[in-house]
Amino acid sequence: MAHVVKYHPSISLLEQYSEGTLAPELCLIVAAHLDFCPHCQTLHRDIEADLGCELAMQKAPVVDGSQWEQMLDQILSAEPVAREELSKQHSLHSADNKSGRVSELLVGAHRFTVPRSLQRIVAKRNKWLTLGGIATAKLPGSEENHLSLLCIETDTEVPLHTHKGLEVTLVLAGEMVDEMGHYAAGDLIINTPDHTHTPKNISAEPCLCLSVLTAPLEFKQGLTRLLNPLQRFFY
Amino acid sequence: MLDPQQRSGHYGAEISLQSRPMTTQEMTPAIAAGQWEEALAIVALHRDKSAYAELFRYFAPRLRAFGIKMFGNEQQAMEMVQDTMLNVWQKAALFDASRGCASTWIFTIARNVRFDMLRKKQSRKDDISADDLWADGDYPEQEDNQSQQWDVHLVAEKVAPHFHALPPAQRLVMEKVYLDELSHQEVSEQLGIPLGTVKSRIRLALDRLREAIDGPRS
Repeated sequence: MAHVVKYHPSISLLEQYSEGTLAPELCLIVAAHLDFCPHCQTLHRDIEADLGCELAMQKAPVVDGSQWEQMLDQILSAEPVAREELSKQHSLHSADNKSGRVSELLVGAHRFTVPRSLQRIVAKRNKWLTLGGIATAKLPGSEENHLSLLCIETDTEVPLHTHKGLEVTLVLAGEMVDEMGHYAAGDLIINTPDHTHTPKNISAEPCLCLSVLTAPLEFKQGLTRLLNPLQRFFY
Repeated sequence: MLDPQQRSGHYGAEISLQSRPMTTQEMTPAIAAGQWEEALAIVALHRDKSAYAELFRYFAPRLRAFGIKMFGNEQQAMEMVQDTMLNVWQKAALFDASRGCASTWIFTIARNVRFDMLRKKQSRKDDISADDLWADGDYPEQEDNQSQQWDVHLVAEKVAPHFHALPPAQRLVMEKVYLDELSHQEVSEQLGIPLGTVKSRIRLALDRLREAIDGPRS
């Protein structure tokens, strides 16, 4: 693809992703960014190599030998996994429609390609809810981090809002702009509580995003939580 | 990117392949170049128990230490070790030395096992799994990126003041390459770490320095 991803996760975010210490929903959005971004793929591999080296260089304390010998015997008594079985498991990554994966997503009349990392979770989305030119579908997530898909139609604006927590958005297809920049597929946008922004789709194509919210949005236009169905809608 | 020879394990002085009693493990890392990669290949081809036992004796205690750091308790750490080392035994055929060191492969298995253990504990096993998150080297090889093309003198002048912000391991490699002007090979030999790791650390450090100078990229 000709498009070059411009907005990336910070190195420390990538490190936490590579370690697996980041919250699962945030890990997922970083993984989806990597599906678009060769540069971050390379950095991620470098971090993994570094962590592997760290593991190998680690000094291990003296431990009770019999416990280890017991574990070793137990493992060696396990049947090896057949080669064909291994290659089958391994190829699941790229296989379509196997074990509940979807490689394409239909929103209204629009068809989108789903990146590898999202193929399983997108298959488990809730139904689309539409409001104005915006459609949203929740994905399974934790209490703390809400994960959803957002599809913004041409010439549509998401109402001005700030964030009580972190809002992380990854553009999956199409383009959008806000006060801070212009984003396209693969761009990762992180908004902290001090950001106020109005994302807009001014392109001719619909814009599909993945979003992680760590706390409810707070809309700025005088609407209380009770009066404002938007808040529930987006969280 | 890097050729497999360069990325193979090399952590210091060579030792013999003889097994050692498990109870006397002060275990200063000391491994022959490519030893673990070879051991994995032998396990994959011949189900060789003694080659596996070597791997186990080296990595299991280290995984335990890593697990205790991550979980904060011995029981889950040992569960992670067992599951990880079982995967190493059963899936050795999936290891591909052209994609990285044996230790990197084992680390990624442990990370994934740990992640799925945590999800299972929260009964959220089906939402997001380790398989979704880490592509296991399925990404195509990349051309080396521009990090390698930074001018030595530019780096020394403009960037050296930011060296203190780097993690110690990366800082050490950067100082040796850019201030002492050693070759990557020399640094690898001096520090007793794989050449691939030297290159990785330089790339990571350069990206971090770029961040320190330009601000975060997002």
